[in-house]
Amino acid sequence: MRIGIVSPYSFDVPGGVQLHVRDLAEHFISQGHFVSVLAPADGDTPLPDYVVNAGHAVPVRYNGSVARLSFGPLTAARVGRWVESGRFDVVHIHEPVAPSVSVLALWAVDGPIVATFHSSNLRSRAMQAAYPLLRPSLEKISARIAVSEDARRTVTTHLGGDAVVIPNGVFVERFASAPRRPDWEGTVERPTIAFLGRMEEPRKGMPVLSAALPHILREIPGMRVLIAGPGDPDPIREKMAGEAAAACEFLGPVSDEDKASLLASVDLYVAPNTGGESFGIILIEAMSARATVLASDLPAFARVLHGGDAGELFQNEDPIDLARAVVALLRDPARREQLAAAGRERANAFDWSVVAEDVMAVYETVIFGRPSVRTSSGPDSRWARLLRSGRNSGGT
Amino acid sequence: MDLSWIVSGIALAVLIAWYVSYGAARLDRLHSRVEGALSVLDAQLVRRAEATLELANCGALDAASALILAGAASDSLEADTADQTSREAIESDLTQALELALGEETLQHLRGDEAVGTPVLQRVAAANQRVQLARRFLNDAVTDVRRVRRKPGVRLLRLAGHAELPQTFEFDDELPMLGRGD
Repeated sequence: MRIGIVSPYSFDVPGGVQLHVRDLAEHFISQGHFVSVLAPADGDTPLPDYVVNAGHAVPVRYNGSVARLSFGPLTAARVGRWVESGRFDVVHIHEPVAPSVSVLALWAVDGPIVATFHSSNLRSRAMQAAYPLLRPSLEKISARIAVSEDARRTVTTHLGGDAVVIPNGVFVERFASAPRRPDWEGTVERPTIAFLGRMEEPRKGMPVLSAALPHILREIPGMRVLIAGPGDPDPIREKMAGEAAAACEFLGPVSDEDKASLLASVDLYVAPNTGGESFGIILIEAMSARATVLASDLPAFARVLHGGDAGELFQNEDPIDLARAVVALLRDPARREQLAAAGRERANAFDWSVVAEDVMAVYETVIFGRPSVRTSSGPDSRWARLLRSGRNSGGT
Repeated sequence: MDLSWIVSGIALAVLIAWYVSYGAARLDRLHSRVEGALSVLDAQLVRRAEATLELANCGALDAASALILAGAASDSLEADTADQTSREAIESDLTQALELALGEETLQHLRGDEAVGTPVLQRVAAANQRVQLARRFLNDAVTDVRRVRRKPGVRLLRLAGHAELPQTFEFDDELPMLGRGD
């Protein structure tokens, strides 16, 4: 099958959507399909050979955070050229309402289109204002996928209709086979817990963990807290009580391999996120590495942890409850072992081999008996063609 | 004075003409999406019925279950594709027949038999998953068409022409015991 995948976000910066696109593409390529990914990127970034550069990405403030996006007539022309030369059976557009390559691709394509919605906060002011303009192109989508129940609810309330939920995938084996590192492993006297993620982002829950630490250390004075992720540790340390700061070890940003080893080594992985998580891929990675997981009871987390069977839940934003749960788990190795085993089992449901098969079922359903993708014959693509010919004769 | 009237008249006419052609093209695209999705659903329903027949005849089921399944599956294969209401009932019946036939014990028995049981069961599961997808995609397309056709401009100018107003396809297609984990 010839598959075209569109990512709105630049491959220069790691992010959930980009990783999803990369993993999906690599899985399908390994199965023998032809895959081309269109994504914005800067000229000097080394790209995997299946990625086509859609143009320079600019940091833009959109929907409450800064994203590296790509737009403008030149990008539109590149999108058109990619569609024409790709001869795709299906085009799979990620975040079709992100003001970037995705929206442009949606305009430029006619034929079987699959769209995946990642975000659970879709309704930006810009979306509302530009809705009449977007609506007709959204109608071209033959199949909508949402990566979580929350993302699906966003689609049904704001766009109408429905979406099929197909979760994010994880290469379980990569985490399951990660070697343990002795310096990260806990002992009875000095157990270890891990926190992963940008620490200065309050939604990741560092303040909740900081507030819980003194209570935990009163019970288990030797506990070590391993904190991995980008950010400056000093302001975090300053805000902590003295003994809490002393228990924390800041590892800085870690490689994928180290992340897997960290998860495999520690006694307990803590995810105190307070909101904004529509899925929680990190929990699945932790479960794949056979870590015992303790997470806030966000709906998305509760779903991934199967209501608490595959990892423990504590009351969101409640440091006292977090402290109670950490102490109880660190004192109960049998319970930890039981949760880790259940988590490892649960992670298999999210392995790419399973998830990608569901995506393939969607592709097969939409292309059944239909001609392949072509460029849209609407006025927009005529403009794109005009621009393209202008540029070609301009001599490059 | 006269000239500006003429110019605005022409501008208005051009605007209306654009709206009509644009709206008609949009509706046309939506209708063909519905037709495409409907033919996909037709095909997937046939596949599901065939997989069910295969399950009925694989020899691993008791005779009564096999008969019920075969009956429901052939009803589906012989259904009149023009009569949507009766088809919805027939497909719901087929789903229920599968649900009844695939009890805990039978499932275990089929899953234990790797030569015949497992592949047949997998075919039924895959076919049912595709039926679910196809039905959902069809209903999304129908919802889009109906929304656009409700617009006053579209109704006033009869942009939909003689195309029939499509209906969503409603039947029970949940087979939880074939699902994955959740």
